[in-house]
Amino acid sequence: MRKSKLIVSMLLAGTLAVSLLTGCGGSSQETSASSDGKIKEFSAFFATAGKELPDNNRLKNVIAEKIGAKINEQWLTGQTAKERIGVMIAGGEYPDIIDGGDGTQALVDAGALIPLEDKIDKYPNIKNFLTPTQWEKLRKEDGHIYFIQQFGQIRNKDTQVQHNDEAFWIQKAVLEWANYPKITTIDQYFDLIEKYKAANPQVNGQPTIGFEVLSDDWRYFCLENPPQFLAGYPNDGKAIIDKSTLTAKNYNTIPEAQKYFKKLNDEYNKGIIDQETFTASYDQYTSKLSTGRVLGMVDQHWEFLTAENSLKQQHLDERTWVPLGLTIDPNVKAQYRAKPAFNAGGGIGISKSCKDVDGALKAINDLLSPDVLTLRYWGEKDKDYKVDDKGLFYRTDEQRENARNQDWVNANMCMYTYLPQYTAGYLDDGINTILPEQQQTEFEATLTDSDKKVLNAYGFKNWTEFLNQVPEENEPWYPIYSACSTWSADQPEQMAMQKMDDIKKQWLPKVIMVKPNEFDSTWNQYQTTLITQADVKAYEDALTKEVKRRVEKFGKGN
Amino acid sequence: MELEVKNINPNPEIKTKNNLMKNMKKQKTLILMSIPFVIYTFIFNYTPLVGWLMAFQKFKPAKSLFDQTWCGIDQFKILFSDPNFIKVIRNTLCMSLINLTLGFICSIGFALLLNEVRLMFAKKFVQTISYLPHFLSWIIVTGIVADVLSPETGIINQILVGLHIISQPINFFADTKYFWGIVGLTNVWKEVGWGSIIYLAAITSINPDLYEAAEIDGAGRFKKMLHVTLPGIKSTIFILLIMNIGNIVNAGFEVQYLLGNGLVQDVSQTIDIFVLKYGISLNNYSLATAAGIFKSVISVTLIYIANRFAKSAGEERLF
Amino acid sequence: MVGFRRRSKSDIFFDSLIGIFMVIFVIVTLYPILNTLAVSFNDGIDSVRGGIYLLPRMFTLKNYQTVFHNQNLIQAAFISVSRTVIGTALQVFLTAMLAYVLSRKDYLFKKQLSFFYVLTMYVGGGMIPVYVLMKYLHLTNNFLVYILPGLISAFNMIVIRTFMNGLPDSLVESAKIDGAGDFRIFIQIILPLCKPVLATVALFVAVDQWNAWFDAMLYNSASPSLTTLQYELMKVLSASTQQGSSGTIDMVKNAGNMVTPKSLRAAITIVTALPIVCLYPFLQRYFVSGLTIGGVKE
Repeated sequence: MRKSKLIVSMLLAGTLAVSLLTGCGGSSQETSASSDGKIKEFSAFFATAGKELPDNNRLKNVIAEKIGAKINEQWLTGQTAKERIGVMIAGGEYPDIIDGGDGTQALVDAGALIPLEDKIDKYPNIKNFLTPTQWEKLRKEDGHIYFIQQFGQIRNKDTQVQHNDEAFWIQKAVLEWANYPKITTIDQYFDLIEKYKAANPQVNGQPTIGFEVLSDDWRYFCLENPPQFLAGYPNDGKAIIDKSTLTAKNYNTIPEAQKYFKKLNDEYNKGIIDQETFTASYDQYTSKLSTGRVLGMVDQHWEFLTAENSLKQQHLDERTWVPLGLTIDPNVKAQYRAKPAFNAGGGIGISKSCKDVDGALKAINDLLSPDVLTLRYWGEKDKDYKVDDKGLFYRTDEQRENARNQDWVNANMCMYTYLPQYTAGYLDDGINTILPEQQQTEFEATLTDSDKKVLNAYGFKNWTEFLNQVPEENEPWYPIYSACSTWSADQPEQMAMQKMDDIKKQWLPKVIMVKPNEFDSTWNQYQTTLITQADVKAYEDALTKEVKRRVEKFGKGN
Repeated sequence: MELEVKNINPNPEIKTKNNLMKNMKKQKTLILMSIPFVIYTFIFNYTPLVGWLMAFQKFKPAKSLFDQTWCGIDQFKILFSDPNFIKVIRNTLCMSLINLTLGFICSIGFALLLNEVRLMFAKKFVQTISYLPHFLSWIIVTGIVADVLSPETGIINQILVGLHIISQPINFFADTKYFWGIVGLTNVWKEVGWGSIIYLAAITSINPDLYEAAEIDGAGRFKKMLHVTLPGIKSTIFILLIMNIGNIVNAGFEVQYLLGNGLVQDVSQTIDIFVLKYGISLNNYSLATAAGIFKSVISVTLIYIANRFAKSAGEERLF
Repeated sequence: MVGFRRRSKSDIFFDSLIGIFMVIFVIVTLYPILNTLAVSFNDGIDSVRGGIYLLPRMFTLKNYQTVFHNQNLIQAAFISVSRTVIGTALQVFLTAMLAYVLSRKDYLFKKQLSFFYVLTMYVGGGMIPVYVLMKYLHLTNNFLVYILPGLISAFNMIVIRTFMNGLPDSLVESAKIDGAGDFRIFIQIILPLCKPVLATVALFVAVDQWNAWFDAMLYNSASPSLTTLQYELMKVLSASTQQGSSGTIDMVKNAGNMVTPKSLRAAITIVTALPIVCLYPFLQRYFVSGLTIGGVKE
């Protein structure tokens, strides 16, 4: 009998413990404290990876004091954006502020976001954040505006110093070795790499790798999209748009594509391209780049920031890279840099679960005022930056050290990285940039000797000058890739896009890896497969339709 | 001369019905004990199956389940008309069979061998080490596998070239013929220790008298292992075998996703990866659910067959 | 009396083979573990380079500091331990009870119920229907969502049942003759004899509970006080990955002491696996023959 008693009492104890624990933490999040004088709290969710700031983050509280509101940010973990949004919709409860990423269209369809067009006029900073044309681009077919695209805005003037997007990159050491030549075409580029590799078969004791192409999973776009740049088109991403006929064409079948991949095929067979490049994972790619022996790659800058940090840590700064805007034909103008793209397919929305819509909008509005922008990016005066007698902001060495320290930044800085912000530009005083790293003094402090050498040799003031000048305005349809996020599963173009991706992933490496005399036949096989297995026409037609629609609605201007 | 036993009962129906009631009364406790479980499982495992309706609709998450447009078996038609889907089924089945075979042989073999280790300390040490790989995430494991098999720096290629077995390093991930083997071996390495735990527990329930009897018959260690230990865990082996046969359609997702690339995608993609790409990523829950139903049907059919087989062979079975 | 038999030649051969095999096995298995340990103690940016084998090249405690430097850590640890202890105890007991019922050879509904349970292993409604169900049952933002849904696992039940089937029938029969009811037989006779398999199942369940984070994210992400250790670690890991160009303003340029996903993952693995490794020796002593304990001989 004793044993049963023991078991029964254990069960009872267990049940008791369970009920106690159920008691704690049942209530769902607070949306916003209502009474005035108290600081309002809003919940926000962003469908991307990001860092949660601790509650006692210094500037979060400073900003909260100033604008009377705090925004508690949550990020995506362990699921894709679409999965997470799908679950949220099924549950019917949302945080106050939400950026659904890939799942934004689903949120709109589900009626989860509140229409904002009537409220915007009350908030001047938000209203002036986007141009009237941009607001129109955000308007859905039902006439409502559901979200605010938070990226890509420049305030007053473009002050960018880094090129964050795609380019062909080449090591500073290689340029120095060749005495800083001007490289504008693919042929010149590979020529230089071949010569350098022949003269320097090893870097730091390991074999030199001439060229590396990242092909891992969703990061493989740099394998497949160079043809669009090489033909002189900007990063429309999903197609090239003919300006005169306003038609969209996929860039996998154009002659530049064949020329480019033939060139890669040559280089691969000459041993310039790393034979592992098509099977390496992102980690392996980063690892190779970090050893300093990769002379060049075609990639977007943010993909190898970690590798750059590693090289800097090893004091191998001359092995980091500068961007080049290459084309196949020297007479074609390259368009690697454009005015920051305005992606009308997504942004920040206020959900229908928000109990204080005006409070949330006011908070976002306040976050765009110059004073708060300064708090977001520069910090507190004297603590995080100093002002000289001309009114220019600058940082002391110690303050710069702090800004480079991950832990310190986490505990002190609060940038609200996914709420409306400026990619570049000046504060209202006209002399201080919004982002510290774009301030001339701060930028120059980041340059090492090899950096300065390279910039001086070409007469450039910052890294963006390696590429084309940014055009005054982008075309009205730019960027066409934003149209794809609104497609739904039952549309043939959506299926076509996925299929094309699969085919390219399989065939492009093949095409590059075969023997030179087999290239033409393999290329033809690839092209045939593309046309027969994917409904390319439906894809192009859908995009053409969208191009024409955008031109009609938005005409000139961005 | 055979005796005929006649059924002298004039009313056989009533008799069996009475029998049923009598038996139920006899097993009152057992029935009472089962009822809460049945209710529980019905709620938690069977009610969500309502979601299977999604497979017959063009599901959009915004509206309720009963507010959707119906499309019959269209989703299934799309699934089976896609040439990739057939390929993907083949990949899944092949990789599963390889994993199953290798896994079973190695887990059972390892359990048997470990049981024979006589130094208590060594036994415990090896067992603890053996299940540690189970705790490494697939991301870490595939990272290590990729490094070990790398053409340039990987140790396998270095050994092979060093021993002059091959003249040039092989890029194991560029050729489709290696992929299934790599997946199988990686799976075995990661799970052999963890998988052997069940068998080790089962071994402890073998009656020690049987060993004594075998010893008297003159059996050495190896013979004892083969004729006493192995048959002693037969029922466990069979049950696990049947259950795993049902899981053949779940060859996995992470390993293939992480180790796969464009060049081997014809053999690396499994049903789950296909569902992710063409179902979830395109917000096409209907397709995903249809694929899920397909998998369930296959699984249940397989275990039914396996169970029948076990029954006729006189072995332990599931139901 | 069992006399001792001299080891024959084949025995020695056999033992040596096993010995060699085990040594190779340990090397092949241990290397990746030690490698992970080394990476976890290595500087994040430096480990990205690769080339770390058994020892860290640039020793740092940064990865572990990042893991432990979490405002929710104590609460998360508390929740994780609670769900592991409560969940395991309840699950093992209830699953064993069901296994007992289904092990009774003459049970009227044995076949139907067995199939009913086996089926649950191969059919499922999918993530969204289950989520809706949990919401309907008020299990979201609730600690019970960690305990209730997984209470009966068909797999574990079958494993226990198989073990119970191997126990001699005479045990139950003689108890019944003595007038004992099924529940008493279960608690007093069968359960104690099942120690090895209960320990096994307890291990499986405990590991699952300890490692679970998906349910915390799916159902309880709006309640910080219900977060689990694994979920917090997952969040830390996610935060260190780079997903696209939009968030680069956040990425501290030229960061001196960044943790990278690779080194962080290694540290998280070690921190998560350690408690289980410590738990195991306690369960190991149950892996002794239940029959010899009970002293029942056929």
